[in-house]
Amino acid sequence: MTLQVVIAEDAALFRAGLVRLLEDRGHQVCAEVADGDALLDAVARWHPDVAVVDVRMPPTHTDEGLRAALRLRSEHPGTGVLVLSQYIETRYATRLLAGSAAGVGYLLKDRVADVAEFAAALARVAGGGTALDPEVVSQLVRSSSHAAGLATLTTREREVLALMAEGRSNAGIAAALVISAGAVEKHVASIFAKLSLPVSEADNRRVLAVLRYVGA
Amino acid sequence: MGSTGPASPAVNRVPGGRPGHPVAGLARRAVRAPVTGRALRELAFCAIEGPLGLSVLVAVFALPALGLLAALLAGGGAGTAGGHPRGAVTAYGLVFVPLLLSLLVLVPSGARRFAAVHRGLAARLLGEPIPGPPPVRHGRGPARWLAATLRDGPGWRAAAYLLVKLPVAVAELYAVFLAAAGLANLTYPFWWPFFRNHPPGVRLGPVGALTPFGTLWVATFPGTFAVFAAGAAMILASPWLARGASTADRWLIRGMLGPGMLAQRVADLEQARALAVDDSAAILRRLERDLHDGAQVRLATLAMNLGMAKEKLGEDGQVPDPDAVRELLDAAHRGAKDALAELRSLARGIHPAALDNGLADALATLAAGSAIPVDLQAQVPVRPARAIETIGYFCVAELLANAAKHSSATRIEIRVTGRENVLVLEVSDDGTGGADPAEGSGLAGLAQRVAVVDGRLDIVSPPGGPTRITAELPLRVSTS
Repeated sequence: MTLQVVIAEDAALFRAGLVRLLEDRGHQVCAEVADGDALLDAVARWHPDVAVVDVRMPPTHTDEGLRAALRLRSEHPGTGVLVLSQYIETRYATRLLAGSAAGVGYLLKDRVADVAEFAAALARVAGGGTALDPEVVSQLVRSSSHAAGLATLTTREREVLALMAEGRSNAGIAAALVISAGAVEKHVASIFAKLSLPVSEADNRRVLAVLRYVGA
Repeated sequence: MGSTGPASPAVNRVPGGRPGHPVAGLARRAVRAPVTGRALRELAFCAIEGPLGLSVLVAVFALPALGLLAALLAGGGAGTAGGHPRGAVTAYGLVFVPLLLSLLVLVPSGARRFAAVHRGLAARLLGEPIPGPPPVRHGRGPARWLAATLRDGPGWRAAAYLLVKLPVAVAELYAVFLAAAGLANLTYPFWWPFFRNHPPGVRLGPVGALTPFGTLWVATFPGTFAVFAAGAAMILASPWLARGASTADRWLIRGMLGPGMLAQRVADLEQARALAVDDSAAILRRLERDLHDGAQVRLATLAMNLGMAKEKLGEDGQVPDPDAVRELLDAAHRGAKDALAELRSLARGIHPAALDNGLADALATLAAGSAIPVDLQAQVPVRPARAIETIGYFCVAELLANAAKHSSATRIEIRVTGRENVLVLEVSDDGTGGADPAEGSGLAGLAQRVAVVDGRLDIVSPPGGPTRITAELPLRVSTS
């Protein structure tokens, strides 16, 4: 499936690499910009499926990418937002996920190196799904105020929970942990039971439920 | 004034010298001296400081005298009642001793108030802002209050100033007398014809005129010209006396009414600490930024290129597009080398490895990399502390970079010498000069960093050049 993408990234080298990566996979890069305002303009103009946004951009080089991403989330709900950063900030993650986890992603820039996984994450966000960096998930879980509930999970169940929070489907989790889909289903059911979360089929609601639970 | 207060880092800027004036200029200055703004301000200072300084005498003598008077009155009463002369002495002791003691308590705080007035006058009229001493820290309870009051060093120093100042106050008053009486003497020839136009044969008493050598009695009109001349001389002399007296007073005020050497040192150190903390925070911020925007981006791009190449290689040995793979690997290879170069320069910016062998080696490496030819002579008999070497190295590095950027010099000389626990780094160039720390050329920041370790930076850079900048650093950061 061809996606329409807008890229906001101030490092020209990395931006050029991203463009090449996306075009190699048959996606269409409508616009590549280097700051938050230009990103908002480009999205308003092109209505892309997804915007890839660097957190730190001119002029202040702090979090203007994130602020632009938050505005995109409220002003253009049809456009998925995949935020890239060299650091993971739990606060940024919670701000991004506030309200809804639909069509949002937050990944370390390093993840781009695993091209296939990055492309899958991008497609997931464009389709209204979620893509959270494992680092984000582990930080959220660590900072969770409900550690007591998490303590009742087995190691394997924690792994499944983390992958679930990243936005993966049962099949994706099974592939990542090299176990059968049936085993994953069993673990998921057990996690939901232990954390008393409502069972649901949609990936997004699972992510949302998990994030709610870990206190994001 | 070339003095540097605690707020300004130790920058001493020497402007390009002006051509000297011959004797004619000196004479012109002598005539103009009484009417320059500075002379008038100094005279005003003397006019206020003189009486103010002498007024202390009133306090010194009047209060005990008051005590004596009270005692005598009390003693007199006792004397009429009991007829005992010893009663007067006893009563005097009863009143005078407590009075003296309470006076002791009042002296430091009272003197502090006077000191504030004197400092204010010096700041306003002499343009010499002198920071006051820190306030007394009174503990809780009357005993501690009393102890703190009696041990108030700056307060007692202020009291000592009031006494030491007495002769200066006399000189100040004398300067004012010279100016005022001189001015009055100048008027004699002008009013004489109007008031002394008596018919011949009438003898009037002579009129007195005040001069430094006593009263001059004049009886005739020509005599008034002598008074006029004396007045002119007094007017001409008064600004110099006023300057001498106010300068002496300024020294006294600076030395005795300032915050004190220890307090001043504490203030300087506090400022140096703030600078050091700010500086290191700024360095870390810049380092993070350089890493984030440089090496990290390069490595992320490199990983991305390798990821794409790996994907293009496929899994089954078939490579559908070897050219694209080669291109991606090329880019990755380039990226890896760039990232290495970037990390290397970053590491050198943190700590040049050559410094481990001493400042001379490091500076030789630095000089070799300069775009402008550098003549380096380094002779450091005693090796300075590592921190000092690092500061010295970055000083020279920044001065070299400055010269390359702004001076359009063709030659740079670096001299490194050591003398009496001081490391002297001198960087001079034959460029266009005009380097000014006030113009944000990084010199102010450099001076601050040097000041953190009690060093100093001297800048000689007249417009047109040449520029010579000397940094003096102690060989050790701490003397203890």
